Amino acid sequence: MSNYIVRFSLQQRIEHFITMTVFALLCLTGLPQKFYQAGWAHGIVGVFGGIDNTRWAHRIAGLVLAVSTVVHFGNGIFIMLSKKSYFSMVPSKKDFEDAIQQLRYYLGMTDHHPQYDRFTYKEKFEYWGLVVGNVIMVMTGLMLFFPVQAAKLIPGEIIPAAKVAHSNEGLMAFLVITIWHIFNAHLNPDVFPFDASIFTGKVSRERYVHEHPLELARLEGGMPPDVHGHANPVHGGKREVG
Amino acid sequence: MKRFLLSLLVALAAAPAWAGIPAESEDCLGCHSDPGQKYDLPSGEKLSLYVNQEGFAKSVHGEALRCTECHTDKTSDHATGSLKFKTRREVTRAYYEQCKGCHFANYTKTLDGVHFAVMAKGNDKAALCVDCHGAHDISRPGQPRARISQMCAGCHASEATVYAKSVHGRQSGQTDDVPVCTDCHRAHDTTDPRDGALAARTPEICGRCHTDEKLMKKYGLSTKVVSTYLADFHGMAATLQHGKKKGPGVRLAAVCTDCHGVHDIQKSDDPTSKVMSANLQKTCGKCHEGATASFPKAWLSHYEPTPQKAPIVWGVQLFYRLMIPFMVGGLVLQIALHLWRVVVNR
Repeated sequence: MSNYIVRFSLQQRIEHFITMTVFALLCLTGLPQKFYQAGWAHGIVGVFGGIDNTRWAHRIAGLVLAVSTVVHFGNGIFIMLSKKSYFSMVPSKKDFEDAIQQLRYYLGMTDHHPQYDRFTYKEKFEYWGLVVGNVIMVMTGLMLFFPVQAAKLIPGEIIPAAKVAHSNEGLMAFLVITIWHIFNAHLNPDVFPFDASIFTGKVSRERYVHEHPLELARLEGGMPPDVHGHANPVHGGKREVG
Repeated sequence: MKRFLLSLLVALAAAPAWAGIPAESEDCLGCHSDPGQKYDLPSGEKLSLYVNQEGFAKSVHGEALRCTECHTDKTSDHATGSLKFKTRREVTRAYYEQCKGCHFANYTKTLDGVHFAVMAKGNDKAALCVDCHGAHDISRPGQPRARISQMCAGCHASEATVYAKSVHGRQSGQTDDVPVCTDCHRAHDTTDPRDGALAARTPEICGRCHTDEKLMKKYGLSTKVVSTYLADFHGMAATLQHGKKKGPGVRLAAVCTDCHGVHDIQKSDDPTSKVMSANLQKTCGKCHEGATASFPKAWLSHYEPTPQKAPIVWGVQLFYRLMIPFMVGGLVLQIALHLWRVVVNR
């Protein structure tokens, strides 16, 4: 029996790497434009060689994000149509129950930690936050990139609204990632200092038993674990990715 | 040194005794009081040797300076000598040097000015102290203020004509509220407007008056013009372009004058105003090639977004003003609870 589970396919790891790099570059080139009156903003813009270069870097990074989002959607639709895999990111009733139970657990109202499947409600929340955020950012970003062309298709008033949305959505994405994602992937005592699974693709079996018992049981064809998180695996092996 | 100070003291003590023009100057004026008295310069120009006594007496220097304090090389027997100057301009250039002896601070400022810069490049006509202030008839500048613009008009006639028809220029004779040339261009360290440096400063220059509550209330104008400009795309870009100069391939973000005009600024409801709604499409089109009729609506016309003025922008702003604290607060709370449980478990 293998002592690790392959949680993320190579494609998923590449997608994460691109998103991570591009997101960092977008924050680095975008936030100085939002906080343009701050000294640090001028410092960062100076590093890029002026606002025009900064803006071009932002646009190119934005286009890469747009393409990667489209590719991700295309891939998801293809997988769903070909029925190769169920779409494990779709929120379900269980996620809401899990969230409530998780909060009850944190508050000490229960000693039963929720049993998670492939993705926890926290992961789904962050995924859909990113997807919706990407769509908003790409659409408003294109309006700001091509304001004259945009004004031909939509009323002019939408453009300043797009600017407000782009600027605030960007800030919110930055805050959610720096607070929530950095906590979950780095500072969370379960993974501290660094959850490397999105780069290696692998998660130890031990951790999987604890974090995704329902998926593990399904993968290994065994019984779902009991409520204390002790799985009853029948046979091991790598999970089919998808 | 001691002797110098002593003589200065004596001179100062004696000053009140010289009513009108210093006594020594009266000797000079004995000869230089003939309006027809002229000297033929080698250039063919005639140099008037006449000094209007009344004019000089009324000037700021009339009671303070003796002739030889500026004309240092003149002695009582120079009448028969010949001048070392070939042209009238040479005379002016030679004597303007005397001003810095007393007015050193303002002279130093001129070294940073555009007039000095073009003079250094060989432009003989570039304005010197006396071109603006006069020579024997110097009076306090800015009395009245409109006189300043009239004086600049001597050389900058085409700009002056345009300015005179503008919302500022039309009122220039009647009130001190409107800017004259030097309010924007500065007096001694006059900025070169050609490299974009002056334009880049317009939010600050125009803002000096246009954010003054008391002054703007008098004319029913908004004082939010600078803050709303800075909050929008142009103001942000212009702020981050700070210090950048115009040049090939360099596009600078629009500042006040790019939309409102420079010397030809009009009220926004004037049919000739560049920012009048009917003319806005054309004005936007200067930078935004192909701008359609709906494009100017992308600019909120210096209004802050409100439910009346820009409901969509206002709504989006409100949404995020609530959403960001809710989202961040919720996540921080959940992290705090998580960590609390970790501590309790231990």
